[in-house]
Amino acid sequence: MIMRKAIAVTGLCALPFVASCGGGEAPTTEAPAAAPTAEAAAPAATGTASITGKVSFEGTVPPGEKIKLNADPKCAEMHKGGLERQPIHVTDGGLGDVLVYVKSPVSGTFAAPADAVTLDQKGCDYTPHMVTVRAGQGLKIRNSDDTLHNIHPRPTANEEFNFGQAKQGMEKVRTFDKAEVMIPVGCDVHPWMRAYISVFSHPFYTVTKEDGTFEIKGLPAGEYEIEAFHGKLKNQAQKVTVKDGEAAKLDFSFKG
Amino acid sequence: MQSESPSAPWRHRLAVLTLLATLALIFIGGLVTSTGSGLSVPDWPLSYGMLMPPMVGGVFYEHGHRMAASAVGFLTLVLAVWTARREPRRGVRRLAWAALAAVVVQGLLGGATVIFLLPTPVSVTHACLAQTFFCLVIALAYSTSPEWREASPVADRVGLRGAAAFGTAVVFVQLLIGALMRHTGAGLAIPDFPLAFGRLWPPLSDAGVVVHFVHRLGAVCVLGAILHLAARAWRSADPRFGRPANLALALTLIQIALGATAVLTQKSVVPTTAHVATGAAVLGVCFFLTLRAFHLTAKSARLAPATPDLGGQAAHA
Repeated sequence: MIMRKAIAVTGLCALPFVASCGGGEAPTTEAPAAAPTAEAAAPAATGTASITGKVSFEGTVPPGEKIKLNADPKCAEMHKGGLERQPIHVTDGGLGDVLVYVKSPVSGTFAAPADAVTLDQKGCDYTPHMVTVRAGQGLKIRNSDDTLHNIHPRPTANEEFNFGQAKQGMEKVRTFDKAEVMIPVGCDVHPWMRAYISVFSHPFYTVTKEDGTFEIKGLPAGEYEIEAFHGKLKNQAQKVTVKDGEAAKLDFSFKG
Repeated sequence: MQSESPSAPWRHRLAVLTLLATLALIFIGGLVTSTGSGLSVPDWPLSYGMLMPPMVGGVFYEHGHRMAASAVGFLTLVLAVWTARREPRRGVRRLAWAALAAVVVQGLLGGATVIFLLPTPVSVTHACLAQTFFCLVIALAYSTSPEWREASPVADRVGLRGAAAFGTAVVFVQLLIGALMRHTGAGLAIPDFPLAFGRLWPPLSDAGVVVHFVHRLGAVCVLGAILHLAARAWRSADPRFGRPANLALALTLIQIALGATAVLTQKSVVPTTAHVATGAAVLGVCFFLTLRAFHLTAKSARLAPATPDLGGQAAHA
């Protein structure tokens, strides 16, 4: 009798876990709206205008974060002097590794390039940190380290995936179908690794060079909204008007 | 089927070992979430296609968790088969098979969290089923104990059974809310303690804040329920109820301190994980006390005239 009661009490206590089905999803953030793609039949709208400029950094660069690598002896061996995570790279006042792209308006359909973009896991870090790829274009994910990594992007518009690459030299190609900006990518084995993947349906984007300079070419004449994303610093947007055959100047300034 | 004596001391010891291993497993499982290692092994049931991957980084916690879970699963399997072969009481045999079924489902849920990338309902269910399985093992351990066979029921004139069952239910609901809060990323939705955004009652505009605040209110309810249970246990003047009640109260106070520490340290790994394990311990003690209360007491109408009751007075039919 008592055992039946014990089972009944345990069973009643187990019922509430069913309520977790209504627990809701983990909070997600909306990705910034990318430019809508045109219908498949519309021709690609390109032109001869361009936007050039420089993303600069004002203020003091905060000290980098010292990473403890003892969780993986292979990573510690690769960085005998230690590893410092410093997402703010400033050269001659310019801020490198900033994504600059045409947010709107963009019309026309642009075929994805056949070549794949490579994201490499090397030295227990990602190369590059700011990855840009076209919707439908291959992203080749490679493990150049003699240790295991898992590649885990967390998109909101695209399908999330997570797979392991246990051995050096392993490669896998994945694609993203939808435009989405600044998808965070991490390795759950090595939590300090961080990169961003941005997926575009058009070719009007770039990542600043080390000195912060950038150029976006092939635009039709018109007025555009240009957005600059760093990942650590607050993103910025500006409007610019471009004319055929001319290069409009546009600068951004991030503050520390 | 040849039956052993129901006391079966070695089977009881195995049940106690499984119980302790389960509590350790709950802590180890908590470490996986606390260190963000839940997806560091992206495949299941193998780990990076191996039985034993390099135990580096997050893999150490996740694969370590899988190894500990396998050990508990094995202990449960042995306990279930042994009980089926040697236990004359059908209810206990069913309890053992239920524990085995629960640990198998728990393993499958663990696999589902990895394959489907930590969907909240699966993660919360995985957390709560762990607590349920823990209770099943406690019941198995108690039902095979010498006390179970040798006890003489006394009348419950202090309402101990109801208080114990109520306390257990309140703790379980609080655990459910805690799991919901943890696996929806709301653990720091209210960043200060003991106030909430500098107030007693925070603005409830965000779902995370709501879940987090309900968990804090739940802590107050748990404390009240445990104090109520402890008061009834003290009135019984029976140390068999008084000691576990004191333990439940002490663990509850520690649990509240750990919860505060988790918030104030921005979810530092050790106090946060200890908070998970202590929650299981509170539930375990309350559930054990409930079983003990129901087994060692009976309604006074069913007792013989001279049978003593809780509180030291003779009962009258």
